[in-house]
Amino acid sequence: MKHIDEIELLKPLARVEPGGPGGDPTGAEARALLAAITAEKPGAVPGTRRRAPRRPALGLAAAVVLATGAVVGPSLLENEVSSSWAVAKAADGKVTIQIRDFRDAVGLRNRLQELGVPAIVDFVPWGQECRRPRGKYVKDIPGNLYSVPENIPGEKLGWQMRIDTTLFRPGQTFVWTISAPATGHGSSTSTYLMEGPITPCEPVPDPRPRAIEQEFVPATVKGRSLEGFRVDEKTVGEVLPELRKRGKKVVFMVLDVPQGHPGGFLGKGRTQEEPVGDDWIVWEAEENAKGVIRLLVTDKRYDRNPLYGGPRDAVVTE
Amino acid sequence: MDDERLARFEAAYHQAYGLITAYAARRCDSPQDAADVVAETFTAAWRRVDELPEGEEATLWLYGAARKVLANHHRGANRRRARHVGLDAAMADLYGDSPDSKVELQAIGQVFRTLSDDDREVLTLVAWEGLDREEIATVLGLSRNAVRVRLHRARRRLSRALAQADIRYTTESRLTPAERPL
Repeated sequence: MKHIDEIELLKPLARVEPGGPGGDPTGAEARALLAAITAEKPGAVPGTRRRAPRRPALGLAAAVVLATGAVVGPSLLENEVSSSWAVAKAADGKVTIQIRDFRDAVGLRNRLQELGVPAIVDFVPWGQECRRPRGKYVKDIPGNLYSVPENIPGEKLGWQMRIDTTLFRPGQTFVWTISAPATGHGSSTSTYLMEGPITPCEPVPDPRPRAIEQEFVPATVKGRSLEGFRVDEKTVGEVLPELRKRGKKVVFMVLDVPQGHPGGFLGKGRTQEEPVGDDWIVWEAEENAKGVIRLLVTDKRYDRNPLYGGPRDAVVTE
Repeated sequence: MDDERLARFEAAYHQAYGLITAYAARRCDSPQDAADVVAETFTAAWRRVDELPEGEEATLWLYGAARKVLANHHRGANRRRARHVGLDAAMADLYGDSPDSKVELQAIGQVFRTLSDDDREVLTLVAWEGLDREEIATVLGLSRNAVRVRLHRARRRLSRALAQADIRYTTESRLTPAERPL
């Protein structure tokens, strides 16, 4: 195992990434807080405990109250934190949705409609999907309309995502299908942005294979053909000569990294034999049973390895 | 005199607001708690504005103040107070990107949480706030040497705990549990 700086390992754990911006001091809420604090006389005598300054009774703060709503869905589990879902809408129109139990789609759908989110949520049994098409697909989806579903911090089951409700155009609907096996382990979600009328969900068997195809597996880990050869964060031009020297056949998968992607599964991109630019960035190398190497690449460099959501060393420790 | 104090406080507020909100968000489980910590930290700073240093030092001073507020906050978690709702919403934004969003990070997070509060404090001030030893000494009110020793031991314990946890990489765990055909 190569030496890994333990401190580096902790960086991706930070909720606000190290060096990343925290709150904006010029934002309305920051200015309201500053005004509330400095409305009081500054205390000069150390050791005297004063009452906290009264918040401004009305104005900005009150306006925000009206726009903020948080509702937790009916709890299907005994554990208090494991309510089946939770929806919170912030003043800026961003809705955060956490789902822990996938069966209460109706409650979730109603709550989203209450909050004015144009979304349809359906639950289908595992291995099924709603008959397609249900409506007209929107082609130009605004960036940042929603975040990729991600784990809920500190929890094993369930996931969360955010939708920016301000980016919907009139007549558009977020069509969302969720599914989970009866065992409670694993879940699947499909999300489409559609416009115009949407037909009700008619569950039909899902034609897609459930198991994710594992033709390619990571090649740079212990026991694999490229063990010890680090390719992540290098350019294609740096990596290819070594692979050629080793007589490897190389193909590429171009990763499609959505804006604000937190790291993790990026969907199956197309595997291609056509070469990519020497200045493209490699994030990992995979191999299949025939010894073909597939480089997972992007056309530009990202701050964080999009496969791992941070440095590879934070994830692969061997 | 009051104008001068106000200007000094406002300067420190602008300089440190982002850093203190990030500090609070990294350490509080809910945006509401983080908003409380931010509001209380700056309220405390305003009360003691005469002690507030100028320039860069002010930020370290505020980290130190936030640290005390946080300690009190954890102690009296049931003592809820009227909160700044706008600030809650803004803090909630900082919670959008889940820190443990990957299975592997969760494992590291679990290991990390087994460490003592003291160990975690000194490690995170390096890893998350990017402070050097001297700055940490200022924030914690310790000597540089004490910080050096504490950091060295904390790193060793972290490293050992990680090795014990045997965090391994599997192909499956690179995938989040969701499919996303869009």
